[in-house]
Amino acid sequence: MKPWRWSAPRGARGLASRALVAAVAWLVIALPGPGAELEAVIKRGELVWAADQEGGGPHVFLDPSDPTKLVGFEVELAALLAEELGVRARFQQGQWDRLPLLLDRSADCVINGIETTPERQRDWHCSRPYYAYSLQLVARRDAGPESVEALAAAGPGGRWRVGVLTGSAAENFLRERPGFEVDPIGYDGTVDCLEQLKGGVLDAAVMDDCIAQFNDDRFPGLRGAGRPFAGGTYTILTARETPRLSEAIDAALGRMIADGRLKTLYDRWDLSGRQQMFFLRHAAEIPAAAPQGLVELVSGTLPLLLSSAAMTILLACASFPLAILAGLAVAIGRLHGPLWLRPVLAGYVEILRGTPLLLQLYALFFLLPKVGLAMPALGAAIVGLALNYSAYESEIYRAGLKAVPWAQFEAALALGMTKWQSLRHVVVPQAVRIVMPPVTSDFIALFKDTSVCSAITVVELTKRYSVLALSTGRIAELAVITAVLYMAMSWPLSLLSRWFEQRLENRDKRPGC
Amino acid sequence: MIDIDCLVAFRSGNRILDGVSLTVAEGTVTTLVGPSGGGKSTLLRCLNGLETFTAGSVTIVGHRFTAGPHSPRDLERVRRDVGMVFQQFNLFPHLSVIDNVTVAPRVVLGKPAVDARRKGLELLERVGLGRFAAARPATLSGGQQQRVAIARALAMEPRVMLFDEPTSALDPAMSAEVLDVVGELARGGQTMVIVTHDHGFARRAATQVVELIAGQVCRVGTAAEVLDESDKK
Ligand SMILES: Nc1ncnc2c1ncn2[C@@H]1O[C@H](COP(=O)(O)OP(=O)(O)OP(=O)(O)O)[C@@H](O)[C@H]1O
Ligand SMILES: [Mg+2]
Repeated sequence: MKPWRWSAPRGARGLASRALVAAVAWLVIALPGPGAELEAVIKRGELVWAADQEGGGPHVFLDPSDPTKLVGFEVELAALLAEELGVRARFQQGQWDRLPLLLDRSADCVINGIETTPERQRDWHCSRPYYAYSLQLVARRDAGPESVEALAAAGPGGRWRVGVLTGSAAENFLRERPGFEVDPIGYDGTVDCLEQLKGGVLDAAVMDDCIAQFNDDRFPGLRGAGRPFAGGTYTILTARETPRLSEAIDAALGRMIADGRLKTLYDRWDLSGRQQMFFLRHAAEIPAAAPQGLVELVSGTLPLLLSSAAMTILLACASFPLAILAGLAVAIGRLHGPLWLRPVLAGYVEILRGTPLLLQLYALFFLLPKVGLAMPALGAAIVGLALNYSAYESEIYRAGLKAVPWAQFEAALALGMTKWQSLRHVVVPQAVRIVMPPVTSDFIALFKDTSVCSAITVVELTKRYSVLALSTGRIAELAVITAVLYMAMSWPLSLLSRWFEQRLENRDKRPGC
Repeated sequence: MIDIDCLVAFRSGNRILDGVSLTVAEGTVTTLVGPSGGGKSTLLRCLNGLETFTAGSVTIVGHRFTAGPHSPRDLERVRRDVGMVFQQFNLFPHLSVIDNVTVAPRVVLGKPAVDARRKGLELLERVGLGRFAAARPATLSGGQQQRVAIARALAMEPRVMLFDEPTSALDPAMSAEVLDVVGELARGGQTMVIVTHDHGFARRAATQVVELIAGQVCRVGTAAEVLDESDKK
């Protein structure tokens, strides 16, 4: 049998994109950028402030009547602040739970509903509070919990599924209450979260009261469930290395509170200016948390990382067998199926290979509910991964089937077998052996691709790492632990595949008796 | 048993079979001889429907094939009764020797595994390979593999056996092992059509020898009649 060579592994693509990222990173590092002290900001004439427009209103969002324009009360706050410093304000987009990382290079400050927490006090400079929020539970009008206290007992469908913004105080609030019968599900944007609540994927959502109120008109099917609870204050983050800038921002905020400009701003945005001033004039400092030792860090985060690793394993092990079965069926259909079916299957493969996995997951999770096909995130993730990989597997199997000599097929036919019997008993078993190595290597690739599922709220290992890294500030240490966990999962797979390969080779050469 | 009537076959615009007519009686051994490219393999493969033809007809084990594509049901029916042995053996490398022999009876005839295995071991004994039942084909010599291929075909209890140069890939010693088995079958009254370049074997075993040249039957007769003439040249 002639040996069969599979095409370049998809890792090559990853390599190219990594090289690109490295090049861009170098450019960014080489150029003098934001993240500068007060003097540099003034010299530049620009205060670069970071926020996530995906996070939604009323903070920072695209004007629905003019989507090229950024609006929100924080956009105006940033403008006021810049004016106080005698410079212009420039917006810098970032993913919400990662905004503080931009302080290194890309932004002078972060203004985006960042809650004051002891951890943030420790890792960055937190300005004096500029807004006081509470948390609000939101549910559908016709169903869901009546108030936050109702979350302490399971709902009619078991544990409540409650949407939150990833990394937000709302998420921490739910996670820190082990007595709650709640599965918190993290989203990157409020609108996504409320859409899913409306679509029935979620039972409820918890968010800052101003966000809930802002979205009330847009989601008439939803209601505030019970009174606002808990809460805290928003702060402007600056880097620890820029104390003079931090001081200037604090002073500017103080002036804006004292002379009523901030109250006017909040009143214009319907954010209860008087009540806000009542809190902000007297807001107490939150003491900074003490830095954690390595042992504490590991013992505190490892159980969470391990449970997320289990999710990664579940995603991979549930989706890959489906991908293999579908891929094999598609490959057989393309080579031996009815003529009309072949171009259809070719289209299936090209569409799934030609579009990003992320887009496919979005379509399954966010678009299907709009046509009444709500799927829980885990289901959508498994189906999405299986569909995406079935296209790649089908190409591998197609090559494998073609690599089985035609004479084998003829020999089976000559014995009286039908086409399908010949495939089932003679051709496919040989093809499966031929493609074992590339299929196993794809399994390892899929293991890592499960991290994309975090985009549709599934918390797997990479997502958990990023949340933990940001909340503890221990980016490097946790990266090492996470990498070790990934290796611990994929290394045995590599060994297993090599063992498999050898066993198959030996079996075909085993002497008789 | 086999009646070939005025068979014409084209491949890539060339006339490979040019009006071949031939009759094979039950219980006889017919050998096809002739120069390379004469159309022997093509003729043989027309008999079990691995190839189609353009004109003429083939009647085999009571079924009549005509020109053009054959229906899958007809093909399966005929192939159950017509075994084939290839020059390159074409054993299934992923199956053990005994599974090679039993797979078709189990899958095609629905024979219970135990019966198929008993019969398979019997056949392997008959071709002298009983002790290799558990081996993989790749571990056997060429002659042994070809004998397994014969046992595999016999397991379907075919009424006709087709051989396409069964010994051309083998050295003389291994050829002899295989031809012994074929000779044994001939004595047992198995109807066979054998393509071969081995005139010695044709003289020993053939009831009828057919010489095929450029797609036409050049001579038909006993071994002496046909081969003496062609060996003279
Ligand atoms: N699919 C095909 N396309 C084109 N030409 C073909 C095809 N199949 C067979 N031929 C040609 O038909 C002719 C007869 O082939 P065939 O294999 O039947 O001859 P043969 O008598 O068996 O020869 P050999 O002794 O070499 O096996 C050869 O010239 C071959 O090249
Ligand atoms: Mg030939």
